[in-house]
Order: sequence, then structure tokens, then C-alpha cells
Amino acid sequence: MAVVTQKRTNLDDNGEEEGAGAVPASSRSPLHGDILELTLSHVPLVDLVPAARVSTSWSLAVSSSLRHLRKPKPWLLVHSQSTRSPHAVSARAYDPRSGVWMDLVVGHERRAPAAKLASALWSSHSTLLYGVSPATLSFSSDPLHLAWSHASPPSAWRVDPIVALVGSRLVIAGGACDFEDDPLSVEVYDTRAHTWSVCASMPATLKDSSASAWLSVAADCRRMYVMEKLTGATHAFDPEAGAWLGPYDLRPDHDVFYSVIGFAGDRLVVAGLLGNSEDVKGVKLWGSMAVGADELEEICEMPEELVKELKDGNYCVSSISMCSRGDFLYVYSNSKPEIVFWCEREDESGEWRWGTARDVAARGRSPGQRVAYTCSEVGIRELREAAATGNGRFVVMDGS
Amino acid sequence: MSSSSSSSSSPPCPKKMITLKSSDGETFEIEEIAALQSKTLENMIDENCASTPIPLPNVKGKILAKVVEFCTKHAEAGADAETLRAWDAEFVGVEHAIVFDYILAANFLEIPTLLDLACESVAEMIKGKTPDEIRKFFNINNAFSPEEEEDVRRQNQWAFE
Repeated sequence: MAVVTQKRTNLDDNGEEEGAGAVPASSRSPLHGDILELTLSHVPLVDLVPAARVSTSWSLAVSSSLRHLRKPKPWLLVHSQSTRSPHAVSARAYDPRSGVWMDLVVGHERRAPAAKLASALWSSHSTLLYGVSPATLSFSSDPLHLAWSHASPPSAWRVDPIVALVGSRLVIAGGACDFEDDPLSVEVYDTRAHTWSVCASMPATLKDSSASAWLSVAADCRRMYVMEKLTGATHAFDPEAGAWLGPYDLRPDHDVFYSVIGFAGDRLVVAGLLGNSEDVKGVKLWGSMAVGADELEEICEMPEELVKELKDGNYCVSSISMCSRGDFLYVYSNSKPEIVFWCEREDESGEWRWGTARDVAARGRSPGQRVAYTCSEVGIRELREAAATGNGRFVVMDGS
Repeated sequence: MSSSSSSSSSPPCPKKMITLKSSDGETFEIEEIAALQSKTLENMIDENCASTPIPLPNVKGKILAKVVEFCTKHAEAGADAETLRAWDAEFVGVEHAIVFDYILAANFLEIPTLLDLACESVAEMIKGKTPDEIRKFFNINNAFSPEEEEDVRRQNQWAFE
């Protein structure tokens, strides 16, 4: 977006040069109705929160502008945690509606909610942030991850399990240590009853790949889906029935050597890297309204220039990750953390188009940092609540 | 220059000029191709009303001169996007009151590119401000009742510490 520099000829820091404001009362302000709404469509969501408080007509204009001119779009949240005690957590977010990056700023006396985690911070299926320690299971699934729940830990000690929130049930599977009885054990935590139960173990075929390093997780309100990233073999778990389903082969193209799954709205989406890690030929997205390779349809392919950017300066690209909400997907890779690729389905045409966002803060990423990504539908209401509870507000970064 | 009497949709002759008259009586010449950036002027040209100076009672001469400059620049062939963006940034890098006049003119003349550019420039004036700062800057009277205002202030107190 073009940066428009403003010669501030008649406004100082206090805005007190010309009487009460920089705009003389005598000059006609066109800021009402359609023009106000058009102007507000250029204002980032975080700045629309104070704008909506200016007056009743501005409040209405903000709502109307957001509904008709430029809708809010899902944010990408990047959570960084220091691996050294006290495991400070910081967060930043990208708002694609305005193309701005923001830092999460927390008030003086407070620590970011996630900072209270004494364990490693992980994310799963775009919407869940969690940490598991011998003493606690902590998790958060609200859009800005400001509300955290803490539960007793699962009975099996697990390293890097797969975790998913399916409806009101939190599923923990696999990742169990060698000395545990069942490396494929599955436990389900009922968030309403606050109770744990043991369920049918993971399918035996997953015994060598039961950690989240090997499995990509997606969840809708009824089921958890896990896909082996290297083979595409996918299983589903229904926590209510306590049963495993599948396997399903969700590898529609033999040229894919690595794939991950996620949900974009009601659609199950598979993102795959084609070729091989030393010579990636492309990145493709497939979608399906039901689980099963027959139903998978190619949605779109990453444009060549973007694939080049992904490969540029890397001798190998061995993995990608995906976060998605609604008709918006984010794709990123450890090989190039400073570029985030996004893909969006346009309402009117139904076409998918790609773009990039530079995550400048990722460039300085040190080995002593864990990073977890989530994707959320953030609107004025969420931002207002965050500010009101004092849990945090987002501030646009300089140079954004 | 005689106006064309043909009503078929022939491409506009590039050098054909249209005359515009501002509210304070100044006249300006603009190439037809540049004038087409304005939907209002485009309609008039289509309906063959463009042979006499077109009166624009809502636009002062000082502003109309700049609008003509904008449309002419944007009608230039082969303009590189980067250079145009920089030119646009300079164009709106003026006093706020003038940017408001651009908005009013662009709205009246239906020039979407100028309207968008000027609105984006005003958006910059809104970013990073508290509600009070916005009200002071734009001379807006607070339309909330004292109770509503207190309510809202209490809810958002932390945000503005």
C-alpha cells in the first residue's frame, strides 16, 4: 500500500495551532456519509476502534464501511517464546485488510497471558494455542488468545503429542515417551466436565510418526484429522464416538512430496509441495467438501514468481505449514520465515489469488526462540474487549 | 475547433480539448482523454454537451487547476506505477483543507482515482489518534450523551493510559 507522506503545515503535537483543531471550523469537512465510509475503508482495523468512539455517526460509518466497503479479513498471529526461563512470550499480528503488522502491547503491570505458561508454546489447526507440562495442560482458542484455560495434565507423559480442540473436547494423542505403555494412546479432556478419559489408541500404522513433527492436524466441530506429512495418509478421530476412521489417501498428485491439511471454512484443504526438497517445482492447494481423495479438487497453484521467492537463497525447502480461516489461507515455511504467503478466495469471482506479507521481525529470529502461528477472525468487538480487559492492544509497527 | 456531430462510438481524438469553467469564472482546457477520468464529464461528452465551456459551480479555480493536472497526469500513456505513486503522494502532500477540497471535487466530478487517493490521505490523519484527538482535529461535536460517554470511557480507560 502506498505510504502517503503528509506535510503537517498547521498541526503540532497538541493540535492546538488553529484554535481547537487543524481543520478550521470554517472549512467544509466532507467527512460524512459515503465519503467518511470510503475514508474509513483505508484505516486499519486497530485504528477503527477509536474512530468508532468519535460520535454516533462515525460509529455507524465504521460498521457500514466494514460491512460494505472493506470487510475484516483473518489475521495471522505469530507468537514467539523464548526457550530460556522465564519463557517470555511476545506476539505480533498481520492484518491483510490493510496490509499492516502490529505488535501486541501489554500494560505495565501485566504479562501477556501466554507468558504464564511454564512450558513450550505450541499451536494446532490454526486456532489452538497450548502448552503441556507434567503439572498442567493450558490452552487457548479465542481469536486473540487472551483467555487461557488450565487443566490437570493427561496421565501419559508425552513429548510433542498431537493436540486438537474438537467442539468442547480437547484430544491429546501420541507423542508418548518410550517408557510409557502405549505410545499411541489417546486421551480426551472434556472442557465442560473437566474430566479426562482414555479412548481408542491411534492406528498402529502411525506408530513411527505419532508426534506433531510428522503429523499435520485439522479439526472441525466433530472430528480431528491427522495427515502424515510425508505420505499424505490421513486418519480421522471422532471424540464423541471415541473411534478412529480411515485411512484416507489425500495425496491427489504423485508429484507431491510433503503436504499439510487444514480447514478453510467448511472446506478441507490440502497444501502440498511438489517436486523434491532440493528442487521444489511448485505449491498447490486442493480442497474437498468431504474426506476422500476422489473428492479432492485442485483449488489453485502458487504463482511461479512466489515459488521462486520461497526457494530464493535456500538450498532446500523441506516443509511448509498452513493456517486458515474462512476463505483465507496463510502458507509459510521454516526455510523462509520472513515471507508469509497468503491465498484468498474473492467473493464475486470465486477466484483465488495469492500475495505476500513480509514479516520483518522474523528475520531476527534466533535459535533460542519457539514460534507458533495461529489464524483468527478478528473484528472490532474482539479488539475492544481486549483493550477493555486490559489484556492487550495491538499497535501498528513503524514502517508497516 | 468544431465538435463532432457523429453519434457513433468512435474513439476520442487525443488532442480534442474540453473547456471547464470554475465557480469563480476561470476557464481551463483539458484533453478529452484526460476528462474521461471523470464520470460526470464522460457523460456530458457522450451526450454532446461538451462543445461549450462546462460550468462547474461547485469547484473553485484553484482546485480545478489541480484536478485538471491530476487527470492529465493519470491519462498519460506508459506511466510507470512506481513513479505515478510517488507523484500521487506529492499531490496530496498539501494542507488538509485542500485535500478536503480535492475530495469534494472528486466526489462531484466522480473521479474514483482522485477520490480514493484523497480519502487514503485523510485516513492517515485518523490513524494513531484517540477519539478526542480525532474530534479536535476534525472539529467534530461529540454526539454521545454524557452517560454514554462515561460508559465508554470507563470501558476503555486502560487503552489510553
